[in-house]
Amino acid sequence: MRRRLRSRGLALHALLALGVVLCMFPFYWTIVMATNTTEDIYRYPPKLTFGSQLLVNVHKVLQNIDLFRAMLNSLLVACTATFLVLLVDSLAAFSFAKYRFPGRNLLFGLLIGMYLLPTQMALIPQFVLMVKLGWVGSLKPLVLPSLANAFGIFWMRQYIVGAVPDELIEAARLDGCGFLRQYWHVGLPAIRPGLAFLGIYTYVSVWNDYVWPLVVLVNPDRLTLQVALSQLNTTHNTDYSMVMAGAMIAVLPLVLVFLLFARNFIADATKGAVRG
Amino acid sequence: MELSRRRFIQASALAVTGAAAAAACGKSSSGTSAAKSSTLTLWYWGGGLSDKVVADTVKHFTAVTLKPSVIGGDFKQKLLTTMTGGKFVPDITGIKGEDIAGFLPRADRFIDLNTLGADKLAASYLPWKWKQGSTTDGKLIGFPIDIGPTAMFYREDLFAQAGLPTDPAAVGSAVSTWDDYFALGGRLKQALPKTFLLNNSGSVFSMVVGQGTTRFIDQSNHFVGDQDHIRRAWDLALRPQQLGINAKINDNSWNAAVGNGTLGTEIGAAWHALDISSAAPKTKGKWRVAAGPGGPANIGGSFLAIPKTSGNPQAAFEIISWLLSPENQARGFTDAALFPSSPASYKLPALTAPDPFFGGQATIDIFGPAAQKIPVAYEAPADAAVAAPYYSELTSIEAKGKDPAAAWSDAVSQAKSIAQKQGVSV
Amino acid sequence: MAAQSTAAPRSRPGSARRPAASHRTRGPRRVWSFLPQYLAISPFFLVFLGFALVPVLFTLYLSFQRWDGIGDMHYVGLEQYRFLISDRTFWLALSNTLIIWVLATIPMLFIALVIAAMLNSTRRLTAFYRIAYFVPSVTSLVAIAIFFFAVFSSQFGLVNAALHAIGLPAVPWMSNPWTIKVVIALLMTWQWVGYNAIIYLAGLQAIPTELYEAARVDGAGPVQSFFRITIPLLRPIILFTVVVSTVTGLQSFTEPQVMFGSNASTNPNSGGPGQAGLTVMLYFYHQAFDNNDFGYGAAISWALFLVIMLIVAVNWRIVARTDR
Repeated sequence: MRRRLRSRGLALHALLALGVVLCMFPFYWTIVMATNTTEDIYRYPPKLTFGSQLLVNVHKVLQNIDLFRAMLNSLLVACTATFLVLLVDSLAAFSFAKYRFPGRNLLFGLLIGMYLLPTQMALIPQFVLMVKLGWVGSLKPLVLPSLANAFGIFWMRQYIVGAVPDELIEAARLDGCGFLRQYWHVGLPAIRPGLAFLGIYTYVSVWNDYVWPLVVLVNPDRLTLQVALSQLNTTHNTDYSMVMAGAMIAVLPLVLVFLLFARNFIADATKGAVRG
Repeated sequence: MELSRRRFIQASALAVTGAAAAAACGKSSSGTSAAKSSTLTLWYWGGGLSDKVVADTVKHFTAVTLKPSVIGGDFKQKLLTTMTGGKFVPDITGIKGEDIAGFLPRADRFIDLNTLGADKLAASYLPWKWKQGSTTDGKLIGFPIDIGPTAMFYREDLFAQAGLPTDPAAVGSAVSTWDDYFALGGRLKQALPKTFLLNNSGSVFSMVVGQGTTRFIDQSNHFVGDQDHIRRAWDLALRPQQLGINAKINDNSWNAAVGNGTLGTEIGAAWHALDISSAAPKTKGKWRVAAGPGGPANIGGSFLAIPKTSGNPQAAFEIISWLLSPENQARGFTDAALFPSSPASYKLPALTAPDPFFGGQATIDIFGPAAQKIPVAYEAPADAAVAAPYYSELTSIEAKGKDPAAAWSDAVSQAKSIAQKQGVSV
Repeated sequence: MAAQSTAAPRSRPGSARRPAASHRTRGPRRVWSFLPQYLAISPFFLVFLGFALVPVLFTLYLSFQRWDGIGDMHYVGLEQYRFLISDRTFWLALSNTLIIWVLATIPMLFIALVIAAMLNSTRRLTAFYRIAYFVPSVTSLVAIAIFFFAVFSSQFGLVNAALHAIGLPAVPWMSNPWTIKVVIALLMTWQWVGYNAIIYLAGLQAIPTELYEAARVDGAGPVQSFFRITIPLLRPIILFTVVVSTVTGLQSFTEPQVMFGSNASTNPNSGGPGQAGLTVMLYFYHQAFDNNDFGYGAAISWALFLVIMLIVAVNWRIVARTDR
């Protein structure tokens, strides 16, 4: 019995490890391409090892686009958007989850309907709206529309229903706490893991957003990372090693930061979800 | 490292200041038109102008600050979106040759360069190119940068291996008609089985269309894409595949193919030399240029324009005319393979000098005569949109093996409906 | 993490109590007492109204106009829709989008479920695995699209080299219409499989082990307990992931746009050889920004919206057959 379990465990780990290799291989290959020249990439059979051209390629990238400023812009936008989403969504979700105010069910149903609305289709009017507001070319259009995503409220509401004990809220209310106090003292501490998950999710989706910034960031001095990267990609003379160097610089910080904090975030998120 | 409340507050303070900073940054002006602004922005795409000439232009004009930006990605989309947005519109902008026809109907969004003194310079530039950048009522919207006289680039070393003529003049006469060209392709393939004559049928199609005097829409805004001249282009475009000499490359593997001997020739415009040399620098010295089959055409070749919102139109025009003077256009040829639109440049040493990438050949010997013989055709604003289905169907034949007869009728019917949609009579 | 219905949350002691002050009061008094809650939910609704709902309605309005982005708008009634119905390229784009979506979503969710099940039964290295599988979903889609494009290049990509090494013929990944869709689907799968696996894992861990033990005592095998216990209890989560995958998958744009570039002077943004990679969103982008036909672009996006709604409704029917 024990032997069978052990071999099954090994097989399991082997399969999982294979999956990890498949997931990670693109990163490895991106680094390989970034450290070689474009001609090495076109070699047949292709080169699988690192080269020495990294600095050359990075230099070319920086010549073509203002990569670091684009990263900074992405960082700025993602942080601001994440903060606002966490604030707005947690407050709203807290209300939906723990308070039975008139029209709650109707409004929540409306929310579900709104969630299914693929707002990406409204690209043009949103652009026209930004024109009217005079926000075109700045980073502002990237922040507010990211708030209009109902996923956050769904997730937080579900989380709060399970994670925040009603008795504590009741106790706080009896102690004389108003809604905001109840949110701050009772709600927030309990939903930290849920906030963490939503924070990552929002941060990542704002960071990776491509279509909308492509349309609205008309000022070439103020681009976000994805748009700046795509400018490296031309059909005629694509210098792949340069493009991959750009991609590597773009991806690695996010991945590193994620790797640093993810252990806790994912653990907390799944722990929290269990409670729900 | 748990997300403690204190960190939450720290993070929020940071984000709020960040937002404030973003808001503050967003308020930067875009060249207000109140007073004549002293900073002018120039937009162009990679390879659209010589970067060195642009850098010199920046140094040359001390009264204003010229700020060039190389815009990657979809240039036309960026320009259009920016003009719609009304902010950050460049003071000088490039316009690609394939887009100029679409911008002419919106001439009111640009400044008529004749009002800034361009008419005095008209004589220095090729008349048909000048006309291409003008509206029907004589307003000059686009100042000519370069033209795209076509020729055939070929791999001299592969030709030698295959026992074909290698001297440009001999090659030129050996491929003077399309039939001759395809026959040569057959011999090339027989001798070197891995080498194809050309990259895809689209290049033949666009070349033959360009060699004619009518395109897809005639001067009375009537669709003519189903007539013999287009049909002939279509049939010619399909022949290489029937003969097995079409590499059918429609994706980015072209970059590798052009370097490793998969492609024996490339038919294209003078600026195409930059594409080849960038994609395959190791083939330096192996390529030559000869007169292409069917005579020359013009493919590409761009313009510089001044949007109406420009902060200082007079200064902008001075910059343009300096940047595109015959001497600087000649430098554009050396740096970025931009074939000048000013005939005076053709006699300058930059143009007549041997080109090391082409093994020391003076390519002006081919492109110069070609530039003189370019046929002029009317290009309607809807031309590009109407032409698109033909190219799509050609790639369908190459990629999916679609039946050519069905592809032709699909292309024509789609082109017709697009034409109707754009207001063309069918 | 289940998508709750609008019914009351599962009963928990004490959750039904209302603040004593407004017990049994009706009307404005009661509404007023909940002012903080209304204020709390208002930012979202206001932002949504302004930045999502109104623009979407404007798109509808725009789809009845002809507009080139710079000039004036002309009212044209249903002309854009009439053109849409007879537009072969639109139907091609629609079928491309659906095929890619099916090719991507079904295997992806299935693999995610399998991975989640495997992760659930390992005890060691779980954190490592979870992070490793999650990382692809935080990667820049642009960078990955470029990567996939280079690697699956018909003549000189890594994949064909690997096939060659084991004696198989090279596949024209980027020229054949079907393989183009496969590559795009692979990209989508690669990016989201880990993300969905983590979500399923959370759901699996919420299932009490006593249920499995009881089933085993009753004589159920692993397959049976998988289908009788796991799937039904995971149903809300599965529904959630299916809906999310549908909504995002049918709107795919970045992958084909980045892969096939937009710098071609003839036919930009056309989805590659044979337009095999042309998705509806890419076609919308092409019509609006390359052909300056914003009215038609609006009509295209509304058609897509209707298709999405239809498919989500069908998904809902299939997956959420039992109401919990």
